[in-house]
Amino acid sequence: MERLVIKGKQRLKGATRVNGAKNAAVAVIPASLLTSSQVKIENIPHITDIEWLIEILKALGAKVSRLGKGGLLVDSSGVNSFTPPHELADKFRASYYLMGALLGRCGQVEIPMPGGCNLGPRPIDQHIKGFTALGANVNLEHGLVKIKASKLKGAHIYLDVVSVGATINIMLAAARAEGKTVIENAAKEPEIVDVANFLNAMGARVVGTGTDIIKIRGVPSLGGVEHSVIPDRIEAGTFMIAAAATQGEVLIEDVIPKHLDPVIAKLKEVGVPLEIGPDWIKVLAGNSCSPADVKTFPYPGFPTDLQAPMMVLLTQAPGTSIVSENVFEGRFRHVAELKKMGARIKLEGRAAIIEGGRELISAPLKAADLRGGAALVIAGMISRGETIVEGIEHIDRGYEHLEERFNRLGAKIARKKVTESVFPG
Amino acid sequence: MVGDQFNHTMRFNVRTEEEVNEARLVLKNVYTALQEKGYNPINQLVGYLLSGDPAFITSHNNARSIIRRLERDELLEELLRVYLEKELQGDR
Repeated sequence: MERLVIKGKQRLKGATRVNGAKNAAVAVIPASLLTSSQVKIENIPHITDIEWLIEILKALGAKVSRLGKGGLLVDSSGVNSFTPPHELADKFRASYYLMGALLGRCGQVEIPMPGGCNLGPRPIDQHIKGFTALGANVNLEHGLVKIKASKLKGAHIYLDVVSVGATINIMLAAARAEGKTVIENAAKEPEIVDVANFLNAMGARVVGTGTDIIKIRGVPSLGGVEHSVIPDRIEAGTFMIAAAATQGEVLIEDVIPKHLDPVIAKLKEVGVPLEIGPDWIKVLAGNSCSPADVKTFPYPGFPTDLQAPMMVLLTQAPGTSIVSENVFEGRFRHVAELKKMGARIKLEGRAAIIEGGRELISAPLKAADLRGGAALVIAGMISRGETIVEGIEHIDRGYEHLEERFNRLGAKIARKKVTESVFPG
Repeated sequence: MVGDQFNHTMRFNVRTEEEVNEARLVLKNVYTALQEKGYNPINQLVGYLLSGDPAFITSHNNARSIIRRLERDELLEELLRVYLEKELQGDR
């Protein structure tokens, strides 16, 4: 196993580029199964979730090769299976996009219930509702989701809850269905727009992404395409918050500032000086920040994925801050770790009350999920002493070489192979 | 002989004309960039105008930054103005 050893009290300074969005890439790659032509996808991050996805596509019969600078070439003409290897699909939640993609390609799919970070209940009932409306039979047997359709037909689908995963999965399944599909109460995240851009460039007819009504006119076949994945707003936000927390000065390049509006607004509210350009954001060195109330919501609200990093920043703001988690109810597993560092945080239902302004003291920490793990790294960088973070496999799932990139900005983080955990059991 | 109207203070709407030219330039550059990258420019521009999400616009040739030079309502105004003027001219 590996751990990160972080030397505290380091200010970040310099410039960094943002990679392609993980949450778009994990859907665009399965979408390439909808065509038998070759597709070239650029700006694909080197993260574990993507490596697992590539392995799955190869196991299904596709030819996949990495190109330089984040490029990926996928040739799905040889796909001959609708059963992704269970041991791989089980590892990460985004494997569920193979449901919509393989249903659209093969008319059937058998896949384990999705795994991924434990953020509380994350049912896939809205996905199932969508597939069923399109004419598929869905059965859950022994932990497997079995979906089969003799013919997919367009339908009018109202999502009971706003779900990024369900919206994309229905888009994938409907792209080659017969007739018109309408998704009402659709999610509006930029990653959905990116998947639609990819599908449309292949010849699909998807309109309305980025709004709450998406219309898909099915087409009989899709062709080849070259597509570049949009920048990762969550990675950009992580670097912005890390820069602010360390009172550093960091230029973050290759971003779409519009996607970070809620983060920019909240950082400005707490007193972090920022400069915004057409495709860059610069966090300027500031003093200690002010407390604030943060409420997570689906896009364009404050992203739940940045709740944990933002909480670390708020531990440094003298006064009382309240963080309300409205998207995933179990997303406070980082709180116990921050408390080990001396942070004063009280949990009340879906809210965390933070008495900020206290110096964090280093401690051995364990990441329990991806974004919470990144938050612990930021906490380590601002704390006094040397912090150990274990469970970094969660971080590697979504951030490409996070510690190396922080190190290039002046952090002192070492990745060490160890045989024993600092935690008992 | 110079007309009487030139003896009075006049208001020139120069800014609007600049904006019109800017809108044309923005739309032209973005259209070309989208086309060069293999996207359907009309689909992508409709998506952007409806949602405001710059993800609809490719970063190729700086198009994603160029589209943000003007507000969406200014782009829509130019599109409608040119279209309607042409249509109304056809009716005459």
